[in-house]
Amino acid sequence: MSPLLWILLLPLLTAAALVLVPRTYSFVIRTATLVCTAMVALIALGLMGDFDAAPVLEGGYRWVQRIPWVPSLGISLSVGVDGINLGLVVMGALVAFCAACVSNEIKERTKEYYVLLLVMTGGILGAFVSLDLFFLYFFHELALVPTFIMIGVWGRGERRGYAAFQITLYLTLGALIALIGLIALYLQSGARTFDLVELTQYLAANPMPVARQVFIFPWLLFGLGILVSLWPFHTWAPIGYGSAPTATAMLHAGVLKKFGLYALLKVAIPLLPEGAKVWLPWAAWLCLGNILYCGWVAMRQRDLNLLIGNSSVAHVGFVFLGLASLTWVGVTGAVVVMVAHGFLAALSFALSGWLHGQSRSLDMTKMGGLLKQLPFVGAVMIMAMFAGCGLPGFGNFVGEMLVLFGGWNSDLVICGGWVPMRWFVAAAAWGALVVAAVYMLRAVRTMWHGPRAEGWASAADPVGLWRKLPFLVLLGSLLVTGIWPRVLTDRIAPGARVIVEGVGRSVPPPQLAAQRVP
Amino acid sequence: MKPETLAWIILVLPLLSAAVITLFTRRQPGLSARISVGAVALAFVASILLVLGYGRLHLGPGEMLLTSVSWLEVGGLSVDLGLRLDAMSNLMLLMVTGVGLMIHLYSRGYMEGDPGYSRFFASLSLFMFSMLGIVLAANFVMMFLFWELVGVSSYLLIGFWHERASAADAAKKAFLTNRLGDFGFLLGIIMVWSALGTVDFLDIQRALTVNPAALGVGASLAGVLIFLGAMGKSAQFPLHVWLPDAMEGPTPVSALIHAATMVAAGVYMLARSFVVFNVPSAWPGGLDFLHGVTALDVIAWIGGVTSLLAALMAVQQSDIKRILAYSTLSQLGYMVMAVGCAKPDAGMFHLLTHAFFKALLFLGAGSIIHALHHEQNIWKMGGLKSRLPVTYWTFLVGTLALCGVPPFSGFYSKDGILAAAETRPLLFALGLLVAGLTAFYMFRLVFVALRGVPRDAQVTHAHEPGPTMLWPLRLLALASVLAGFWGMEGVLQGVFGRATHDSHGGWLATALAPFGHAPLAAMMGLFATGFGFALAWSLYGSGPAHDPLPEKLGVVARWMRDKFYFDELYAVLIRVTHDALAGLADWADRWLVAGFLVRGTHGTMDVFGRVLRLVQTGNLQTYAFAAALGLAVVMWLMLM
Repeated sequence: MSPLLWILLLPLLTAAALVLVPRTYSFVIRTATLVCTAMVALIALGLMGDFDAAPVLEGGYRWVQRIPWVPSLGISLSVGVDGINLGLVVMGALVAFCAACVSNEIKERTKEYYVLLLVMTGGILGAFVSLDLFFLYFFHELALVPTFIMIGVWGRGERRGYAAFQITLYLTLGALIALIGLIALYLQSGARTFDLVELTQYLAANPMPVARQVFIFPWLLFGLGILVSLWPFHTWAPIGYGSAPTATAMLHAGVLKKFGLYALLKVAIPLLPEGAKVWLPWAAWLCLGNILYCGWVAMRQRDLNLLIGNSSVAHVGFVFLGLASLTWVGVTGAVVVMVAHGFLAALSFALSGWLHGQSRSLDMTKMGGLLKQLPFVGAVMIMAMFAGCGLPGFGNFVGEMLVLFGGWNSDLVICGGWVPMRWFVAAAAWGALVVAAVYMLRAVRTMWHGPRAEGWASAADPVGLWRKLPFLVLLGSLLVTGIWPRVLTDRIAPGARVIVEGVGRSVPPPQLAAQRVP
Repeated sequence: MKPETLAWIILVLPLLSAAVITLFTRRQPGLSARISVGAVALAFVASILLVLGYGRLHLGPGEMLLTSVSWLEVGGLSVDLGLRLDAMSNLMLLMVTGVGLMIHLYSRGYMEGDPGYSRFFASLSLFMFSMLGIVLAANFVMMFLFWELVGVSSYLLIGFWHERASAADAAKKAFLTNRLGDFGFLLGIIMVWSALGTVDFLDIQRALTVNPAALGVGASLAGVLIFLGAMGKSAQFPLHVWLPDAMEGPTPVSALIHAATMVAAGVYMLARSFVVFNVPSAWPGGLDFLHGVTALDVIAWIGGVTSLLAALMAVQQSDIKRILAYSTLSQLGYMVMAVGCAKPDAGMFHLLTHAFFKALLFLGAGSIIHALHHEQNIWKMGGLKSRLPVTYWTFLVGTLALCGVPPFSGFYSKDGILAAAETRPLLFALGLLVAGLTAFYMFRLVFVALRGVPRDAQVTHAHEPGPTMLWPLRLLALASVLAGFWGMEGVLQGVFGRATHDSHGGWLATALAPFGHAPLAAMMGLFATGFGFALAWSLYGSGPAHDPLPEKLGVVARWMRDKFYFDELYAVLIRVTHDALAGLADWADRWLVAGFLVRGTHGTMDVFGRVLRLVQTGNLQTYAFAAALGLAVVMWLMLM
């Protein structure tokens, strides 16, 4: 049995088992959740270690297993990973464990909460290991529904009803548009299969007419774009995360939101290469909206969660830029940003959740000089904020740097060639190095430095290694990927290469072909 | 041990120290200090061993040692964690670890009793690690990594007393100003990589030696963009505004980071990647009007303008650390100007001598500030000569070296820069003016703060600090005197493949060499210095209670004191650009996207719902009437 099935089934089976446990046994429920997520994370890390040794099966995937389900429609539960999926799976599993750790803030209806948390975890990881379009979509929806419920029931703040309503409206709409695109893709391909590997091979041999690709691609681009808060469909994100319980915000912003980008990269671009070339220039324009516009919006925020939410939306822009570049370096960078940003978003929301637990408010204007009182949370958050403005040593820098390098050499034609891709790279670099630094450092200055603010006398750091563990795991992951990026890039690059070659881009671009002087 | 192994050890030692202090010894300040000092002392010893081992290899001037580990390899981008050892990086290693050791020792005394003692030494170790990374970097990306890390450690140390609003603001300003420069630096690196397919300094040098036009139409733009990074780190006009504010940090930090090492990193980077700038002028489309201007021209003029502006500002400051900060700016401008005049060896030589005497001056100022319980206003000092004799004499040595009086080291390095500018009359005149101004403001400082009679009661209680702070002063004073004779100049000229001036005629011939090979620069420079000194003597020699200059210069003096209003100008610029855009985006987000579109959809649905609810009255007659009306409409439509 493929270890990937364990990753997928463990959380779902645990959730099913917990339904049977009486609700008064909250200790058992929490412990079971922690053990389950920890085991999933360990299996995922183990796969990372075994990756090079595992045999490469069809389509470049490893640990592939197929369980036929509806043969007449070509649906089967099939799993398998390459470097791109694996990075996301490891990230998702670690974030899920940390989210379970910080969930002790929940005191009411704990049984339902942990069951939903496990369903969400299983759904997300299932989406990332599925090689079947049907299950890819199904698992994503399975993870999405608990998000709405968790915000509505365990959310915080006056606006949680509005936030839950808005996030449901947007994400359901996005998922629906993407579903139309997927169904159109299935029907128009003529392959009569939902299997990603077979579909890719079939379409490589029998390409769809360009006009059809150009018609189907925007459904996927905008449907998935809404799911990942592509500008201007981003406003649900900051408000939604601001009202969500900590663990939900961590899992959604960190992991679940990567699904849209992942599906764009693994489904839309390889299967509809001509459509991608026509529509990705639009993504390049819109990603500037993410990087610059949302960066500027973040500069004005007074609530910490809205700041983190907007900055998280801004980071998504780099992934889009990397995908739009359609270069080997750029696409690899986009995946690195996805992984690193998953850790970073989860860490940021975990920290803001801790602060909220201390004071029931995240209004930054009422904070000040807290570093003395909360040295641990303060130091980790300052590091997270530096990671957010692309400081070397953290994984985000590697990803953003690769995206910028890749984007510079992109062949993408925008506005008939009137607007060079390089201007987009320069604007994105401005967003990464300057705008992000402005809002992050302003926040550090307001919250942690300066004279001590009133009303924080009872706030305290987490005590003991156990309480600090989730923060340390996430921070450590950011540092490992930043200091030793080959742990990610060496695994991601081959997968990225397949995608870039699949759309007919040469690898590496000819003007760069090994000019290294001997 | 092989020099390469030693280089790795030198790089890793301070990082280990920072990690150990942060993780384990935060609550033991004494131990933290010993770890940090021990790490830099070992690094210094290792550097000496490394240079000796390197010398035994008898490498030619263009040769070097390289060692690397692959850090990142994707597609056409390959980045090594590579170390490069050549004569230039060796000199820098000795300087950074040597001056660093002095300042670490001094800090043990200066920071005594501070609640953040351990944090201070951890940050200092982190800084040493980052700075040594820049020195040893063998490629652009690695230099950029450590470049950013240096920025962070500088941020941490400027904001060391972060409860103080001014310190926290200064730290933020320093980091953000540097980020503006780094924006250009990164784009410049990408342009070079895109044109040459490599980021390695040696590969770039080889490619450009084969074909100087290999950078294509973006050559000069790439050079200027990379130079933007140096403008940020070395605080060149117009990104100079952060350095004076950075004096909010503890004084040893000002000495190490904001005088001797980090701010010099920009100049070092320019020298390290000199080949990129030394190419024929070439501008892309849109920038054709700059035709004929090379990146080096831009560099030379920015350096020149910085040195003049900063010297003028220094003339009217009254905070002892700020005077030294503006002087640093001015001297950095000199170094950059030298690089721009295609004499990077002269810039590097001045960088190294300046490191010694400026660190000395800052530590001297720290000793004064320490003695006066954190008083920094020179008009509340005076009469310190008899009370702080060691500080006074060593400070005087530093001043003479900075002013370029032979045989102090500053004379030789400044002479090299003036000689480099000889072919450009305007820059040469500017350099001379700066030399005169330097002597003027430095002797103003000496006359007002150190000589004369006490202007404040506190001065009478002042006394010398302990030996941990005095010995670094003495040793740095010695280095400031001797640095001109060590033959660094010749070594550096060798690095850049230029003929060295022969000076085999003993120490006297070495001491007088500048008058031989560049008599005009040497004589004129000395004359300007003398003139500046005479002017300072006439105005401040008598020990006036107030500064007589504002009466004589009027409004100009006020401009100088207010730093020509750059801070105010930038505040307005930021308000009308970024803050305005942020406000606009936030407004749009709140009202257009979230309000109108989302709530609009929500609202429309709501209205539909209400209207449709009205129809469902539950009244049978109404339904019957509606049905009849419908039937009538349908029939009317069919019959018509």
